[in-house]
Amino acid sequence: MFLRNYWYVAASVDEVKAKPFGRIILGEPVVFFRAADGMAVALEDRCPHRRLPLSMGKLVGDDVLQCHYHGLRFDRTGACVRVPGQDMIPPAARVKAYPVIERYKWLWIWMGDPALADPSQICDFHWIDDPNWGAKGDYLHVLANWQLVVDNLLDLTHLAFVHETTIGNAALVEHAAVKVQRGPEHVLVTRWIIDQPAPPTFVKVGKFTGNVDRWQIIDYRPPAFLRLDVGATPTGTGAPEGKRVGGISMRNLNAITPETETTSHYFWAQAHDFDVKNAELTDRIFQQIKLAFLEDVDVFTAQQRLIDLNPAAPTIDINADSGGIQARRIVDRLYAEEQAALTAQRTAAE
Amino acid sequence: MPEASWHRVAAVSDIIDGEAKPARVGELEIALVRVDGTIHAFEDVCPHAYALLSQGFVEGNEIECPLHAARFEISTGKVLCPPADRDLQVYPVRVDGDDVLVQIVR
Repeated sequence: MFLRNYWYVAASVDEVKAKPFGRIILGEPVVFFRAADGMAVALEDRCPHRRLPLSMGKLVGDDVLQCHYHGLRFDRTGACVRVPGQDMIPPAARVKAYPVIERYKWLWIWMGDPALADPSQICDFHWIDDPNWGAKGDYLHVLANWQLVVDNLLDLTHLAFVHETTIGNAALVEHAAVKVQRGPEHVLVTRWIIDQPAPPTFVKVGKFTGNVDRWQIIDYRPPAFLRLDVGATPTGTGAPEGKRVGGISMRNLNAITPETETTSHYFWAQAHDFDVKNAELTDRIFQQIKLAFLEDVDVFTAQQRLIDLNPAAPTIDINADSGGIQARRIVDRLYAEEQAALTAQRTAAE
Repeated sequence: MPEASWHRVAAVSDIIDGEAKPARVGELEIALVRVDGTIHAFEDVCPHAYALLSQGFVEGNEIECPLHAARFEISTGKVLCPPADRDLQVYPVRVDGDDVLVQIVR
């Protein structure tokens, strides 16, 4: 199940070069390249002649992609502009062109109805290239359905178990209440830990001398954008009321793009608001989070293997699942709405 | 003989409009919700799969289970939709100054 009328992250901007590369997005093969004028281009990665991926071909001239098999050429709009050995170009010789936008060091793609592609709908990830933050990102290919990744990121209680030796902190699970709030297109999972000692890593960067108020706030937007806000301020200075002074904060930023029903592209970045020009620190924080993420990836992959083995095996839900369940319900509703709109369009066309 | 007794479970100021406040009397888990100025008390454990209803969603005089979306009427405990298949036990509430008391019969 994929939601189509959303912007998804397709690539890191650094990946998009003159040399074409292919990636499957929402089950569709897409070829990416950068035209001579610097613009990123995304086309259907399947020659309509004999279905070779166009990403096996090469760029000729400024922005024309040539198929590796028989040399058919396509311009950036997807129109075939040359068929070797004949003058006439068959009318159906074209590939789909996808709207793309470069923002927050990511290339965003619109997989749905191009008429609805509104760039203002791109989820805000400004922390990645905001000069007031230090940030570093990465890409992971995950052998699991995208919603397993969403479930994981909306769930704070696995930290103590999956990440026992990395970022986990068992004490948090038992003593702090998690609050789940929801709206038509968002879920907010919030946990406050008031007037407690700061964890050692926080003391090191935040120079805290006494107890702190600590927060973990997970903001989910469909289909699969999760922005985690974590931080601490000296206790009693007003962070729970929205006034953050004298503390530190980090953002863990996640954009998951379905590749197929059982595999996903996982783009993420870690940003921090202290010592922002210290690239060595940015990298150290990034590496620490990456270790934890790889622990999660092992979990999703193992879950997916068992789901594939027997998709009907029963599962149970526990209180900690509320955030993930609300997110899935939003996706189910949006999917039903998209399908209903498509059916209505088809009916109108007939 | 069953015996009824009143138990202090919360301060009035602990109960935030639009949110359910969990409380306990011994092993008994109770949820407290204020609707139109009146505080109501009902069993906090969803009869369907034992989720805590106080972690669910209050909308007017209804509460929705956080896991499987069963809904109940807060003032009466009446089940409004599946997957739950029975009403919630409700408890009489009395406010004494800033204290919220519920009556438990056992």
